Amino acid sequence: MSSGTSAGPPDPVDPTGEDADSRAARKDSNDAWAATSLLLSGVVVWGGAGYLLARWLDAPLLTMVGLLVGTATALYGIWFRYGRS
Amino acid sequence: MSSLLVAASRFTETAEGAGGSGKEPFVSPGPKDFDLPAIFDSVAWFTKPVLIVIFMTTMLAIFYVASSRKAQIVPGRLQFAGESVYGFIRNDVALDAIGHQGLRFAPYLATLFSFIAVNNLAGIIPLIQFPATSHIAFPLVLAVISWVIFLYLGIRKNGLIKYFKDMMFPPGIPLPVYFLLAPIELFSTVIVRPVTLMLRLTFNMFAGHLVLLLFVLGGEHLLLEYGGIVGVAAGSVSLIGSIVLTGFEGFVQLLQAYVFTLLTALYIGGALADEH
Repeated sequence: MSSGTSAGPPDPVDPTGEDADSRAARKDSNDAWAATSLLLSGVVVWGGAGYLLARWLDAPLLTMVGLLVGTATALYGIWFRYGRS
Repeated sequence: MSSLLVAASRFTETAEGAGGSGKEPFVSPGPKDFDLPAIFDSVAWFTKPVLIVIFMTTMLAIFYVASSRKAQIVPGRLQFAGESVYGFIRNDVALDAIGHQGLRFAPYLATLFSFIAVNNLAGIIPLIQFPATSHIAFPLVLAVISWVIFLYLGIRKNGLIKYFKDMMFPPGIPLPVYFLLAPIELFSTVIVRPVTLMLRLTFNMFAGHLVLLLFVLGGEHLLLEYGGIVGVAAGSVSLIGSIVLTGFEGFVQLLQAYVFTLLTALYIGGALADEH
């Protein structure tokens, strides 16, 4: 099976013609992974920044502030990118 | 074989340590069971996982060459097997996740999938019975390759500045939020993607092998050491359970190879996408 030309056995998927359904499905599946990744990043980046600040300034509450800010921002980012249709 | 050897060495160790007092304490398997010694004393890097990767990759190459040599219009059994794997990755991963441009990535994705799959499956193949991919070095290298590919494609398509600008600053967000969101977007794409690829594969294989070890060693301990009706009954259940889990582990191993390949394809697709 070398390339998508018409020689040989018929191909179950036509490599050139692409319908809207498969494009939409691809976007959905991509978005699901991206949203998870973004949420994780929000917690790690701002939670981590909050933790470092908390250690530096000796104010433990800043860790929680960082975690909340990170989660909220990530949720906002997810809503902004993928939630509005 | 390795689990048997480990079990045997554990058995003699504990037997000597306790002075043959009848019931030996159970030593549960742990990360130390993944530290396999070098096969030859003089070559420190040549351990069992390395041998497995070399062996499985050789077998894979032989399989693909044999299945594609003398290809017929009406495929034989071997050719059918090879084309099924390639066709699956080409149609259901490359074309589905990337689109019409996916065709040129199909060979790499099929190689990636086959390589991960066979090295995962080494964990349940009799006499080999160790998933080479549970050593983080192998998933690490594969994740770095995927990372370089999707970053390179994205930067080549959009240019360095525009690529990162599109990633970090989607238009239409209030200005203050950019300060909070941009680092997250950058971290999410550049760090979280490769790290999760690597960790997901490594620890699925690690944990799966550990569970199998626990069931087999625990069953052996219950049967041989604990004894009695309870020991024999529980040990039998444990050993039968290990057979069931071996089947389940095979499913997980193929699934993880598929997930790694699919995500790599999705990242490539995202880098090549026209939107943004």
